[in-house]
Amino acid sequence: MKPLHSIFIVDDDPIHQQITQIMLDRLSISNDVTKFSDAQDVLEHLRTHTNDAAALPDVILLDLNMPIMDGWEFLEAFSLLRPQLCKDIKVYVLTSSIDDTDKERVNKFDFVAGYLTKPLTNDVIMKLGR
Amino acid sequence: MNNALLNQVVEAFPDAVAVFDTDLRFVSCNRVFAADHIRYLGTEMKPGDSMYKLCEACCPELLQQSLYNWERAIAGERLTFAVAVGEPPVHFQISLSPLFNEQQVQEAVIMVCRNIQPELDARENERFFRSVLENLPVGLQQFSPDGWSRDINEMQRQILGETHPAVNNLPYNVHEDPINRRSGLNELLGEVVRRKAPVKKEMLLKYKEEKEEGQDVTRLVPLYYEGTGFPVMGMNGEIAYLFLILSEITEKKLAQISLEKSERLLYNIVENLPVGYIQFDNFGFIHRVNQTQRRFFAHSGLEEQPEAYNMISDPFARLFDMEELFMQVLQKGKMMRAEKKLEFEMDIAGGKMNREVFLDVTMFPVEDPVDKDQIVVALVNDITEKKRQELENAKAQEFLLQTGETGKIGGWEYDMTTGLLRWSAQTYKIHELPPFATITLEKALSFYTHESRKKVSQAVNACIERGKAFDLPVSLNTARNNLLQVRAIGKPEYRNGRIVRLYGVIQDVTEQFKIRDQLTRNTELMRLFFDTIDMGYAVMDKDGKVNFINRKAQEIVDHGKVIGKNIFEVFPMLEGSTFHARVRQCMQLQAPVSFSYYLPAPDKWYEFLLAPMQDGNISIFTRNITDSKKMQRELRKANDQLSSLNKYLVNQNKQLEDFAHITSHNLRAPIANLKALMQIMNETDSEEEKELYNSMFQEVIRNIDETLNDLIEIVQIRKDLNVERERLSFEERLQKVKDILFVDIETSGIEVITDFGEAPDIVYPRIYLDSLLQNLLTNAIKYRRPGIRPSMRFRSRLEDGAVVLTAEDNGIGIDMERYGAKLFGFRKTFHKNKDAKGIGLYITKSQIEAMGGSIQAESHIGTGTKFIITFSPE
Repeated sequence: MKPLHSIFIVDDDPIHQQITQIMLDRLSISNDVTKFSDAQDVLEHLRTHTNDAAALPDVILLDLNMPIMDGWEFLEAFSLLRPQLCKDIKVYVLTSSIDDTDKERVNKFDFVAGYLTKPLTNDVIMKLGR
Repeated sequence: MNNALLNQVVEAFPDAVAVFDTDLRFVSCNRVFAADHIRYLGTEMKPGDSMYKLCEACCPELLQQSLYNWERAIAGERLTFAVAVGEPPVHFQISLSPLFNEQQVQEAVIMVCRNIQPELDARENERFFRSVLENLPVGLQQFSPDGWSRDINEMQRQILGETHPAVNNLPYNVHEDPINRRSGLNELLGEVVRRKAPVKKEMLLKYKEEKEEGQDVTRLVPLYYEGTGFPVMGMNGEIAYLFLILSEITEKKLAQISLEKSERLLYNIVENLPVGYIQFDNFGFIHRVNQTQRRFFAHSGLEEQPEAYNMISDPFARLFDMEELFMQVLQKGKMMRAEKKLEFEMDIAGGKMNREVFLDVTMFPVEDPVDKDQIVVALVNDITEKKRQELENAKAQEFLLQTGETGKIGGWEYDMTTGLLRWSAQTYKIHELPPFATITLEKALSFYTHESRKKVSQAVNACIERGKAFDLPVSLNTARNNLLQVRAIGKPEYRNGRIVRLYGVIQDVTEQFKIRDQLTRNTELMRLFFDTIDMGYAVMDKDGKVNFINRKAQEIVDHGKVIGKNIFEVFPMLEGSTFHARVRQCMQLQAPVSFSYYLPAPDKWYEFLLAPMQDGNISIFTRNITDSKKMQRELRKANDQLSSLNKYLVNQNKQLEDFAHITSHNLRAPIANLKALMQIMNETDSEEEKELYNSMFQEVIRNIDETLNDLIEIVQIRKDLNVERERLSFEERLQKVKDILFVDIETSGIEVITDFGEAPDIVYPRIYLDSLLQNLLTNAIKYRRPGIRPSMRFRSRLEDGAVVLTAEDNGIGIDMERYGAKLFGFRKTFHKNKDAKGIGLYITKSQIEAMGGSIQAESHIGTGTKFIITFSPE
């Protein structure tokens, strides 16, 4: 299995960030996990590195419920930014919400690779690698 | 004396010359003298003849004078005198000169007789002409070819006026006077010079002041002149002089102008006559058409070429015998009048239409005053409308006659003086008598039934005696013994104050009677019918008079006798009411109108249906709908309650949804964390890791605890719908909150300003108001703007009976565009503030809404936030 190089975890819950990182480390999915509490920071990082493939992540795990900028706003902004990026980034929504309306709303963003509900399981993490 | 030389000299004179000596003896004469002498005196003088002979021969009356003059000449005087000889007199100028010899001794006298008659004649002529010209009644002025005035006659002096330079013999050039350019005089003379021929022109040369008699008004009257200029040519073919003749033509001109004016007036009158006017010449060509006629032509489509229109040859005119009429007028010289009916097709909006026109044509001959031609004028009056009216009238008359027939109305008249009774044909018919059978008053009365006869007799007598007209419903038996109901009407006719005639009609109303009978029966049936139905029914006329009312309606109005009375007088309160308005609406629209009407006195609702009837009356249907109306009101009340309940339920539902959302998001998150922690803890054997996970467990559980507590608080709010309310003072409660937040207020230095003057207190649950004030104030402190002194302004006021509380801070503000929708959401935070948990505003909103109020926010980043809380009216 080819390990993923870079994963961004975007979540305002520090416990969740920590747990996710531990799980990713255990399965050796990635050797480069970056944690963000604010989606705004992620967006700024991507904007400043549109042409720097090494600085861009391979996968973003995005929470929906966040203060300041929530997951929805990030998705809107990212859909505009995506064509300028030199790398195809896989975005997974990772949320505690099991609300169907949220799921449908996420489906409208066709570039989202998957809708995952917390907690993450090893099976799900293994699928991310494929 | 050298006689030979003298003779030669004498002979050389062109005039008659004679020489005589000092003894008055004729010496010699020249040939002219001899010829004259023979011609005038018939004698011949011989040398040596006495000069007496000369005098005797010609003019003895001149002898003394001649002798005297001769003696003077002999005495040595040289003299000249004139004599007239013969009849008619011929004037001679006689010159006598003494002749001397060498010794200066007078020897003889030479007499030169010069015939001056032609000279005299010429001079006389000139004087005559001059005086003629001077006294001509026209102005005459002579000019040099370049315009200098040379001579002028008396009339011209008058025309020019005494101040004119030419009149005063001052140099005057006609071309240099600007006034002549205006009058056209220059042009006239210029043309004379150019053409070297006489030129004539009419000119307005000046104005005369005319004083109105007896009035202080001066009028300026224009003076018109006819100016004639002509040249007098010199010997060399050049113009020697210019002459100008001016003759005043003012009167002529004014007459001409007034003629033109009256002609124009006449033209206008003719043009605007409401009657068509056509003027033909004696060949039938149209010369003039006025506008009425033109319009008529246009209507009839005949206007193609009215000028070239010739009546005699026009087939159309021939068709209607117009040309015959025209010829008659022309030949007999008489006015003719005829009515003509014209039918023609005319184009109307693409289609053809037959039109019928009646014309009243009057033609008369007129002699043209100028060229004495016979002309014919046709006046054409469109009498179509009048004609149509006549036809209408005839039709109406015919119709009347037929009405008499069908209406079974006959006429009668009774002549008081002769005692004769006359019936019309219809009257005979009604009586079933053969027409025009002799009839008397007695016989006529005999047809009536016993009772009717008495009535009619009385009425006829009353009419005869007192002139009382009558109109009686009576019965009569016809000649064929049929019983009829008739209406007998009679009236008197007066002449000179005396009744001379009775006249009237008799109408067979048997059928009407039958119909009325039937009608009465029907009405009765209707009454029965209407009385049995369980609905009020009434008929009233347009003014409100009740003509019919059924039992039910009578019960409803509950008011003695209504029939025959005006409903608006019986019930004055109906005047100007909805009922009244609806009645008018029904009348106006001529359509049924339905409405409900509340009568407050009996506390009853009635439903009305108003329907217009053909005879102008209104049918009123009414029904007591009080019960159903009351039921309806109950229903509406129940409906209102239901809808408010529904609203409440919808609100509850929404809150439940909210709650479900909160649960799914905010409770699931820590649970998911627990699950994940369990998984990774189970997968490890390392004690160290387990220690870490344990601490994480504790953190998550603390988190869950907090969230649950928040949720419980919210649930509590929702449960406490009927929490106790009390009258609370804003000022007092705020003070309590300030006490609690004392430390925060002190550290932040926030300035709290209040204005509760307009609404100082409110009936509200105490804990909710405290919580509200505390949340608002906490937010203002928490989200204060760095660098400036934070402030919070509370204000309460009344708006539409509801208390409105505003709380305005000068904090960092919220991006309303971005967060407006989520501002009051559960666990929503918009600031990177560690204290922000996103629960305060959610609870605040929940509490306010639970009490039926609402909260809104207005905010601008960097300016501050203003919360507006509207409490439900008490």
